[in-house]
Amino acid sequence: MREEAGIATRVTDEAEGTGSVPPTPVPSATVPPAPEPEAPAPARGSRRRSVLHPNTWLPATVVLVVLGLAWSVVAQAHPYILPGLGEVGTALVGDPLLFLENAWATLSIALVGVGVGAGSAFLLALLMSEIPVVRRAVMPFAVVLNVTPVVAITPALVVAFGFGMAPKVIVTAIITFFPVLVNVATGLRSVPLPVLHVFRTLNASRWEVLLRLRVPSSLPYTLAALRVVLPLSLVGAVVAEFVAAGSSGGLGTMIRNSASTARLDHVYAGVACLAAMGVLLLTLVTLVEKRLLFWHDSRRPTRG
Amino acid sequence: MTSDDIEIRHLTKRYRGGAYDRPALQDIDLEIPHRRFVSLIGPSGCGKSTLLRVMAGLTVPDHGRVSLFGRTPREMCRRKAIGLVPQTPALLPWLNVRQNIALPTLVNRRRGTSHESTDDLLRAVGLEDSAHRYPHQLSGGMSQRVAIARALGLRPDVLLMDEPFSALDEFTREALRMQLLELWQRRATTVVFVTHSVHEAVVLSDRIVVMSARPGRIHDVLDVDLPRPREREVVSDSRTHEVEGRVRASLRSAWSSGINPTELVAP
Repeated sequence: MREEAGIATRVTDEAEGTGSVPPTPVPSATVPPAPEPEAPAPARGSRRRSVLHPNTWLPATVVLVVLGLAWSVVAQAHPYILPGLGEVGTALVGDPLLFLENAWATLSIALVGVGVGAGSAFLLALLMSEIPVVRRAVMPFAVVLNVTPVVAITPALVVAFGFGMAPKVIVTAIITFFPVLVNVATGLRSVPLPVLHVFRTLNASRWEVLLRLRVPSSLPYTLAALRVVLPLSLVGAVVAEFVAAGSSGGLGTMIRNSASTARLDHVYAGVACLAAMGVLLLTLVTLVEKRLLFWHDSRRPTRG
Repeated sequence: MTSDDIEIRHLTKRYRGGAYDRPALQDIDLEIPHRRFVSLIGPSGCGKSTLLRVMAGLTVPDHGRVSLFGRTPREMCRRKAIGLVPQTPALLPWLNVRQNIALPTLVNRRRGTSHESTDDLLRAVGLEDSAHRYPHQLSGGMSQRVAIARALGLRPDVLLMDEPFSALDEFTREALRMQLLELWQRRATTVVFVTHSVHEAVVLSDRIVVMSARPGRIHDVLDVDLPRPREREVVSDSRTHEVEGRVRASLRSAWSSGINPTELVAP
């Protein structure tokens, strides 16, 4: 325990050490032509090195091994409650196409749902920031929609839209709608007053303020919302599949059917796929954030 | 009324929730001649920043009239004839130095006023080597230089500066003052400069407007008869100290003329 704490502090020390090197541009007025904004490059290099360093990966690996052992012990004692890790692995390797197909079915529902939900939320947030009446008209309903457990509507949606993709996409869209709406609305309003003053003295049009100032300012908030909402979209898709099993595939359908036939190895293999997809989506957001938000505080290791 | 000056007549501004008998600005009358450098100085709450915002067309006064060379502030904004340097640099963090300086030329394009080339501006503020850096890679002084270059880019008729150096350390302030003087001397626009530093006001200005608080009023207008250009020798001259003494005395009397001096922070 104490050892791990020591490792943790050392890791953060190191992170700070590497972080504080690049953003010290004080004497840079005399520095010869700074080649592009490549200043953060050395930081990225050293961060990559620190990932390979045992200090970084060892703690998580230790926990992983411990968890794996615990799993195996329980699985051995109660094979009808937990399948062995080996069985799950064989299930995955035995028929990878089955899992890939189902994973793709779920992923496409999740992504279309996010596209619809987050997209409409973004547009609505733009409208709300420009027309206050829209804000007052829409916000109460958005809140109610958010506090309603959407899962509860799913059966009704299935009745209305059948067993196809529509009800699943709708559920996912509803789940992802509110976080994006609130975050983007906040982001669009988070413009510092002095900057707004500069734009006003230039007689910038509302459109210019929106495009050149508000939308870029809201980007960190939008991406933070996506960070929350993308994994959430998987939840939405799977839950919808549970309820509206139907003919179309999907990991949710597969997990439900496997559970009812006591194929626990398939159940956990499906769960593992879902986890992998969640990680994949998060990685995607992180990459986009790195690319788009290089200027934002959150992307800097330490504040200069 | 001449259209060559900035004229402010009977200007009163009350903020909602403020005491009625103590407006933020009360009956301000002020004339600022063309191509002069004028500083507004006074204790906190004297309305100097409010006055600047009124001149920038960002705040609408309750009474009175502001005429910038014969035009209203909003007209001046439409012509892109006002350069604003706020207290914080207010740069767009996702644009690099060059793009930030070029921003005024991209906004409100219909009014295509003549503007200085971005390269010249970069050179003028000594940032040609940092053109591709982003604001988070700049020191406070460099950021403020970018903000000044951005404001100067459109060759504005008026440059409005709201305590632009107040967040900087003394060395940087000193350097930026000299640089600002140089920039101004070459361009000769009218500058209204809000500050709470007596030394800064004296070193930079042709005229110092001392304001008193609660209500915000003009207490005194002092002319600074120091020679130009003001090199470092002039700045540390005994005459400079003499003028500073006068300004300080005026500030003291402004401070004690406020309705409730105990609420105020000494300048």
